[in-house]
Amino acid sequence: MSKSCIIFLLVFMTAFSAGAQKYITKTGHIKFYSDGQLEKIEAHNRQVNSVLDFSTGGFVFKVLMKSFEFEKALMQEHFNENYVESDKYPAATFVGKVTNIKDVNLLKDGMYDANVEGKMTMHGVTKDLTEKGTFEVKQGKIIGKAKFNIVVADYKITIPGNVGNNISKTIEITVDITLDKANM
Amino acid sequence: MKTWIKILLGLVVVGIIALLLVYKFVYNKQHPDYENLEPAFTVTAQDLYQAYKTNKEAASAKYNGKIIALTGKLSKMETADSLVTAVFVFNQGDFGDEGLRCTMLKKFNDAADKLQPDGEVKLKGYCTGYNETDVVLEKCSIINQ
Repeated sequence: MSKSCIIFLLVFMTAFSAGAQKYITKTGHIKFYSDGQLEKIEAHNRQVNSVLDFSTGGFVFKVLMKSFEFEKALMQEHFNENYVESDKYPAATFVGKVTNIKDVNLLKDGMYDANVEGKMTMHGVTKDLTEKGTFEVKQGKIIGKAKFNIVVADYKITIPGNVGNNISKTIEITVDITLDKANM
Repeated sequence: MKTWIKILLGLVVVGIIALLLVYKFVYNKQHPDYENLEPAFTVTAQDLYQAYKTNKEAASAKYNGKIIALTGKLSKMETADSLVTAVFVFNQGDFGDEGLRCTMLKKFNDAADKLQPDGEVKLKGYCTGYNETDVVLEKCSIINQ
């Protein structure tokens, strides 16, 4: 193969891989976990929307608060009515970027670090969020994972005094999403 | 036995029973029996989606957290892990298909798997809201015609 041919191929492949490539899921999983003095509280949401624009690194999450499921019905009620006030603030969002998206090679299966920064909005409060996670490229899919803590008071979520000790002030969030290439 | 001891014992017993009842019915109360709840609204899948699409705030106030019975032409069934979802597609956007996503109660997974795309179906579920692309219903059951 001539040199120019190879260069053309390389340019073509780069251009192709840099095109608008969106990876999406509508069934992402977010877990939150609080290790209080009296008991552990855990909730799962398996209806998480997320889109990753591979060409820019743009990364968005949309989470419906009422989709969080608790083991105890009472906790679920308190969570929705008293803490996150899901009637008033139905969704939490994250809008940001994977700053090192260029390091992720979609053509090579493997684990990659992902540095994510952006703004998270929950309970009507928007805060900057910078976290590290991982992307695993596997057979054309991207499996994103991250674990981080948030301070509930940062989002103006107040927990009444009598149960305050039972719920930890920070909540551990675990994100697990499998992004598929969007057919568009 | 002295009267005041009897009264005290009686109060203790009543107290213990009250605690047990609170534990059972308040602290440890069961999740709603979604399959047998009466729907607050009966709508078509298309109308429900349009309501959110045209006025998210009004539709959220009306439908979020409510049990909704709906009829519509099923677009497809999706399975992810143990989650079976009935999908009604009405639009195309950044996330691809947009419409209604109804995840089934586990006991309806097998029956839901047999639902045919393009067929009319009648479902009932708990509406958790609209995420700018889809209206999400959970704990869905199939209503027999």
